[in-house]
Amino acid sequence: MNRKRVITLAGRVIRQTLRDRRTVVLFLIGPLIIVSLTALLLRSEGRPAPLGIVNQDEGATVLLFGQVRLADRIVAAMSEGDALVPVPLPADEAEAALRAGRVRGVVTFPPDFSASFAGERRVRLQLTLEGSNPLQATAVLSALMQTGMRALAGLASGSAGGELPLSVDVTYLYGGPEYDLLDYLAPPYLVLIVFFFVFLLTTVTFLRERSQGTVERLMATPVTRLEIVTGYMLGFLAFALADAALLLGFTVTVIGLHYAGNLFDMLVIESLLVMVAVNLGIFLSTFARNEFQVLQFIPLVILPMVLLSGLLFPVEDLPGLFQPLAYLLPLTHASDALRAIMIRGQGLAEVGVQIVALLLTGMIMLALAAVTVRREVA
Amino acid sequence: MADAVTLDSVCKSFGALQAVQNFSLRIPTGITYGLLGPNGAGKTTLIRLIVGLLRADSGRVSVMGRPMPDKDMLAHIGYMTQTPAIYSDLTVRENVAFFGTMAGGVSPARVNEVIALVGLSDRADSLGRTLSGGMRQRTSLACALVHQPRLLLLDEPTVGVDPQLRVQFWDYFRQLNAQGVTIIVSSHVMDEAERCDRLGFIRQGQLIAEGTGADLLAQAGARTLEEAFLTFAGATQERPLQEKMPA
Repeated sequence: MNRKRVITLAGRVIRQTLRDRRTVVLFLIGPLIIVSLTALLLRSEGRPAPLGIVNQDEGATVLLFGQVRLADRIVAAMSEGDALVPVPLPADEAEAALRAGRVRGVVTFPPDFSASFAGERRVRLQLTLEGSNPLQATAVLSALMQTGMRALAGLASGSAGGELPLSVDVTYLYGGPEYDLLDYLAPPYLVLIVFFFVFLLTTVTFLRERSQGTVERLMATPVTRLEIVTGYMLGFLAFALADAALLLGFTVTVIGLHYAGNLFDMLVIESLLVMVAVNLGIFLSTFARNEFQVLQFIPLVILPMVLLSGLLFPVEDLPGLFQPLAYLLPLTHASDALRAIMIRGQGLAEVGVQIVALLLTGMIMLALAAVTVRREVA
Repeated sequence: MADAVTLDSVCKSFGALQAVQNFSLRIPTGITYGLLGPNGAGKTTLIRLIVGLLRADSGRVSVMGRPMPDKDMLAHIGYMTQTPAIYSDLTVRENVAFFGTMAGGVSPARVNEVIALVGLSDRADSLGRTLSGGMRQRTSLACALVHQPRLLLLDEPTVGVDPQLRVQFWDYFRQLNAQGVTIIVSSHVMDEAERCDRLGFIRQGQLIAEGTGADLLAQAGARTLEEAFLTFAGATQERPLQEKMPA
């Protein structure tokens, strides 16, 4: 081995890399951004879950304590704890609040709640969980159990046979006990995979189109920018839809994913997402001189989008400024929409907001892409 | 007949670089015009201005009487870039058909015809990336010709084309001229120049001499076009040098 040649080679590699200043900067700064963002998200305390309270408890006289309304004691214990925020609701509004996502569950105290405790020393609670997110559902259930037990602790000393004085009957608005974390994660994964591949395909394909001179050549024909961008969208849409359908079919049949929605509705959302991804890809390809620089968009653009999209951390639990930011990003809306369709079995009409948000983002990206189609690499 | 191309006091700069300076030229319809000059003289910029890929900073560019850039005119213009611009994952036939459709639509028979013309019939179904440099160049030429343009701009078209095929190309260009097609060829090789009806010598973004080959030889008192070019180039170069002298 010739030492001089090896050292010269190493020197050339270093010089070459340093000359690509953007790579150096991204190499140093990219990981910092990702680590900070992840740390911030992981360390941010989960917010207390809003829990609807339908309090019909008429109270009862309990030995040694006189007239009490047990339900009030439990609700007060919730207010003191930091896991739940009690939201008093009239019985006829409870379901609407649950559907609208204002509360994550509704607990109902029947009129004889205190009375049955006074008599049997044990009570049953009715809990209806929203159920889309199994993690949140479990958290609400266990927080309710803990709070209830704490509130009853002083009163239940005489309970019979060591049996727990509190039991909860759980029903689910959506999903159910058979829905697991995978069912919850599958919709955003479908979103992410389609978005990521379409984005990468477009960026690299368009980069090649620029570097091999065919964009220049295309612009010397009567074809318009809008035609080019639309053609790209249609072309990649075919791949994206095939990919989404294959993935969904596989997860439902082989992996046993629970799926409540309509395939067509799902593909509509995926199509809108493709529109965003293709145009974002064309736009960003303006800023990449080579395939290597395309890879740099992953930590810089894609990963923050994914972290904020609600894939792992529910958007409503994000700290402060990150919530509005998350709602500016297309992945968030697409994940929301697909969860609504796949877990809650809702239709397109019910995800109108998300559709409008995706369309709007798509339009902005399309305009940016059309403007930069011809741009020489900066 | 109207001129195929008119350039009227055209200027184009890229930052500090003045690529084309106060350039005026008229190219009559139905001839082959040669733009000659060394690398970096501004030939490609000039061609891109004529196609309308660039907009002049000042001055006017028109093609067949229509000011450029004009998307509609592009259906009548064929442009062959200096480095072959073809899709490496498409076959020769697919490339030619693609650009034919982009230019407004052509028949499969026409696609085969131009592929035969550039001598690639036996490679028509080969992928772009498997072709040699010269074959890519010829595919690129086929893409520029397929929609039967009225104006054909060829940026260094015969680089990498073997002499035998080059003769065929020039024969075909002559046929096109006879059909009223105007051809503009850029080159830095002077022996190409002899085949052109008229020539423009370009240096540092300026037109330093213009006319038929015989005119230029006579004006410069030179025996070859190369000599003539150097004479004209020397004439333009002398002035700035003389200006510096008194200081």
